[in-house]
Amino acid sequence: MSVWNPDNIKDVAESLGIASLNDDVLQGLSSDIEYRLSQVLEESLKFMRHSKRATLSTQDVAQALRVLDVEPLYGYESTRPLRFGEASIGPGQPIFYVEDEEIDFEKLINAPLPKVPREITLTAHFLAVDGNQPTIPHNPTVADSRSQELVPKGPGANLHSTAINGADNITVKPLVKHLLSKELQLYFSNACSAVFDENTDEYRTAALTSIRTDPGLHQLIPYFVQFIAEKVTHNLKNLFILTQTLQLTSALLDNKNLYLDPYVSSLIPPVLTCLIGRHLGSSANPLSSFSLRNTAATLLGSICKKYAKSSHTLKPRLARTCLKHFLDPTKPLATNYGGIIGLQAVGGTEAVRVLILPNAKDYETLLREPLEDEGSSKQAEAEAVLTALVSALQTLEDDTFGLRNNVQNGETANLEQQLQEKVGTLLANRVLEMKRPKFVKALLETS
Amino acid sequence: MSAQPTHGGGSQGARTTTNGGSAGAMPMSMPQHRPNDSTVNVSNGAQSGGMSQQNLNGIVLEYLSKKGYNRTEAMLRMESANQDVDGRPIQTRVEDSGGVKYGKAFDLFRNWIEENLEIYKPDLRRLLWPVFVYSFLDLVSQWFPRESKNFFNNYREIFENEHEHDLRALQAVALPEHVDSSGIAKIYYSQRYRVTLSQTAFYNLIGFLESKEKEGGAVLVSLIQKQLNVCTVERTADEQFSLAKLIERARRPDDYPAEDEGIPGHNPGSANVTQGAGTSVLTRLKLGQMTLDQESRQDVLGELQNEDKIHPPGPGQSSLAEAFEQRIKREESEDVPGRTELPPRPPPIARDVAMEAQKVKENRDRFQISGRTGGVGPGVSVTMFTLHNTNDSVTCLDFSGDYRLIAAGFDLHYIRVWSIDGSPLPGPPGLDGQDSRPTASHRLFGHSGPVYNVSFAPATASTDKQGITYCRYLLSCSADKSVRLWSLESWACVVVYKGHDGPVWDVTWGPHGHYFLTGSLDRTARLWSTDRVDYLRLFVGHDRDVDHVCFHPNSAYVFTGSCDKMVRMWLVTNGYPVRMFTGHASNITALACSPDGKILASADDSGTIILWDLAPGKLLKRMRGHGKGGIWSLTWSVESTVLVSGGADGTVRVWDVQLPNDANGQGKVIGEGGAGQKLEPSVSNVSGAGGKKKAKEVMVTSDQISAFPTKKSPVYKVMFTQQNLVLAGGAFLP
Repeated sequence: MSVWNPDNIKDVAESLGIASLNDDVLQGLSSDIEYRLSQVLEESLKFMRHSKRATLSTQDVAQALRVLDVEPLYGYESTRPLRFGEASIGPGQPIFYVEDEEIDFEKLINAPLPKVPREITLTAHFLAVDGNQPTIPHNPTVADSRSQELVPKGPGANLHSTAINGADNITVKPLVKHLLSKELQLYFSNACSAVFDENTDEYRTAALTSIRTDPGLHQLIPYFVQFIAEKVTHNLKNLFILTQTLQLTSALLDNKNLYLDPYVSSLIPPVLTCLIGRHLGSSANPLSSFSLRNTAATLLGSICKKYAKSSHTLKPRLARTCLKHFLDPTKPLATNYGGIIGLQAVGGTEAVRVLILPNAKDYETLLREPLEDEGSSKQAEAEAVLTALVSALQTLEDDTFGLRNNVQNGETANLEQQLQEKVGTLLANRVLEMKRPKFVKALLETS
Repeated sequence: MSAQPTHGGGSQGARTTTNGGSAGAMPMSMPQHRPNDSTVNVSNGAQSGGMSQQNLNGIVLEYLSKKGYNRTEAMLRMESANQDVDGRPIQTRVEDSGGVKYGKAFDLFRNWIEENLEIYKPDLRRLLWPVFVYSFLDLVSQWFPRESKNFFNNYREIFENEHEHDLRALQAVALPEHVDSSGIAKIYYSQRYRVTLSQTAFYNLIGFLESKEKEGGAVLVSLIQKQLNVCTVERTADEQFSLAKLIERARRPDDYPAEDEGIPGHNPGSANVTQGAGTSVLTRLKLGQMTLDQESRQDVLGELQNEDKIHPPGPGQSSLAEAFEQRIKREESEDVPGRTELPPRPPPIARDVAMEAQKVKENRDRFQISGRTGGVGPGVSVTMFTLHNTNDSVTCLDFSGDYRLIAAGFDLHYIRVWSIDGSPLPGPPGLDGQDSRPTASHRLFGHSGPVYNVSFAPATASTDKQGITYCRYLLSCSADKSVRLWSLESWACVVVYKGHDGPVWDVTWGPHGHYFLTGSLDRTARLWSTDRVDYLRLFVGHDRDVDHVCFHPNSAYVFTGSCDKMVRMWLVTNGYPVRMFTGHASNITALACSPDGKILASADDSGTIILWDLAPGKLLKRMRGHGKGGIWSLTWSVESTVLVSGGADGTVRVWDVQLPNDANGQGKVIGEGGAGQKLEPSVSNVSGAGGKKKAKEVMVTSDQISAFPTKKSPVYKVMFTQQNLVLAGGAFLP
């Protein structure tokens, strides 16, 4: 019946020399103990509440005991909530105890000093501006706060305020349609058709130049972005259209009057498709797509350079995608090629050093088979990939300086072996063929 | 513990032969099981003849029925019905059945209430809690340990919603000694519990009690007579008991204690607890703003005119001097307390004048929050200041009035002050007069217990470089029973104020500095002035700790909130209570008086905010929406039209003060609730209690304008600036 186990009292009584306690006395004592405990708890809860905490600490209990004119229990001070271990003394009879680790004193003394706890810092942000909560990282997302009750509910709820606070899930359609002037509409359709005009070179250049320089195109950006995405998805086999789309994208990016930051995320997928797409152009001649991939890589590089500042996750994300496609053996070689040049464009020498060089040796095994396959299109592809790899690695050479051309003849064999270990035989041969000791040195010294 | 009188048990014991005597003589002996049947001895004596008498009855009845003496037979049957098989009289009167009687009576009472007319139900339900508490305490003090426990566990869930804290305190009371020492039992026994019923409901109740006298009515009557103070109200006399109100109340899913219900037993709003003629008359309050005296008014005006010359008002703006004149005119038309009704103030110095001028300026240039337009509340901007890596050790926060500093009190006995904008703070001046190295924050050491509140002295932003109006002092209160005054120039403790006999829970500055108010575990609130180490006034009356205190803006009155769930209002000059507000169902966690001095907002643990109209002493409305765990801070907009609250659930919520929150439900038909209840009256009541609880937890009343969640940061402090922007402070607790 009672929470407090009477056996405890019996034990204490026995330790005091009282052999047999009347059962009634036991009952009375145990309910009295319960009462005193609850008094202490009641009082401790007050201290917890005033500390604005939700967990009771030993300090609260100590304070409560002090208030109740009882000497507090010393030795249980802890700034962290206590951890309780659970042990069982039988089915359904758990016992809880404070976990008390044994500490080796020697170890404690000799252990390095614990880390200094982090300094308490103060930050400020806008929780609400004019009654709306801005969506910044400091504020919880809508999904986070869904569990909380934020909107009036129940019989008297005011529907107006819920809708206007935007806290409900009704999507409010803007009443004002996006109005595009006739001139702009005309411009858009003409520009688009001119860019993809296969026959007249002049039209294309004129349209692109106009897009590159015209200051009044801001309203058209979303349309262009959508247009580009559509063109790419529907014309994967047509190299001409893909190339022109890239030209269009680059023209848009070059226009100094346009503010493209919000659209970068939607511009990148088409470019990436042109870079690492599985089958671009006609499948008969896979090499034909390589120049397109080169253009896409250049474009990607320039996007990265321009917008890395406004979106700090942009670069890592792109690099991750490129790396994935570079190292995926199930993808065609052309895709791997795109991955390599993409990585190089996005990350520069740093990416080459950290991402390409360590993987070069493993990757090289992939190339062996197609390279030996004389005369096939695969061989040409593999050749191109190898060249791309070497040229990527070559950027490392430009990056290292202060190296002297001091390789002695006797060391050549040694160097060759080292190089082979580092980048694999195929690449090592290729590199050595170039007879550029500086390059070799650079490769070897880059860890 | 030893000299334990067996309370009401005496009367019971007298009848039960020797048991009563032995219990009295051996108080430490164990709860003996009192024979439930008080007539054991009698029956034992009569047992020998029992059998034959029973047979005889049978024979006679048989004979009578054979002969057709129907009426005689019926009479005999009736008269012998009170005997059992053995011929012993059967217990019919519940009050003789020992400890079980309370349970039986309570059951009876509850069933009767639930089957009563819908319209009386809410009224009568209010009786359940006091009857429960007193039954339980009687049981305990009459030493029925098992029965009391059963009784408590059987019925506790009915009250879980509203009386969670009291239940927890009562739960442990198990022995008669506990009744004498337990705080809650003392409170309930020392005073009568007041309940107000409408007259019809009361007649209804009397009728019931009389008719069911034997089944337990007598037990209830004696309880009600002894411990309750049932007031009856003519329906027409009080609009709170008008038919419309009653119907509305019956329809509401949740119920709250009435404004005058409870232990202190006062008239609504009034602080007068004695009953008698004229006690319901309320003291007249003077809630107007404190005005400046003629001299300083001239000074302020001069200052403002100067300012007007340097920065001429923009188009559409009134000049500062005009704004000031307008304010004075408005203030004078209000009910202003006279000089003698206000605590004296030190003569104004240049700083006061500069502050006054700055206030006028900020007031004119503020972001205006007008009433709601087209159903939408005004948009409020909130800046949130978050402390990181605190490990849940922050207990309180405060922003200074000049918006330069933020102070936090810690569990670990110290206070830390940062500058709000992160600029370095000048260190204390060194011996050679040079400022020492400036730092980003200062720690103030001195307390020997957790710091429970910090409060910056009144200050305003300053236009000049010297910062004459900047904040210079900080007050803090702590578990070490002391209040400390810290200088923000030397970053050291200046004065220690001792006097409280328990941890000091709250401290707050008066609206114009100089005075401050503290509330403590010793159940008192005290008023101090900074230049004396002794307190000036002692406000005594709360039954439990004074958790929170707050000044009226004209500083003639103060408010105290306590964990006896009551808010009281006191007159500073003589220390008399002038208003008393009951209605909270949980501990008070924050108080704030509106800048126009007419409304008080109080918040509690369960997430309810109540607005009190001070002059008539009435509850204006309840605003719900916050989750459980305490609303730590409340703040009013300059116009007193918008209230902002922040709490443990990590939200900042904006409330419309003027919109009545049950207005929209007015037009509904009342039939639904009634019909639903009729179908399955007894079953639905039991399950209804659980469902009700859930429904209550998610309720957000319609007058909430908006709610802004934070990222896992409980909000410890919210503050409206003079220009109607909100500063909120919290600690990030991942």
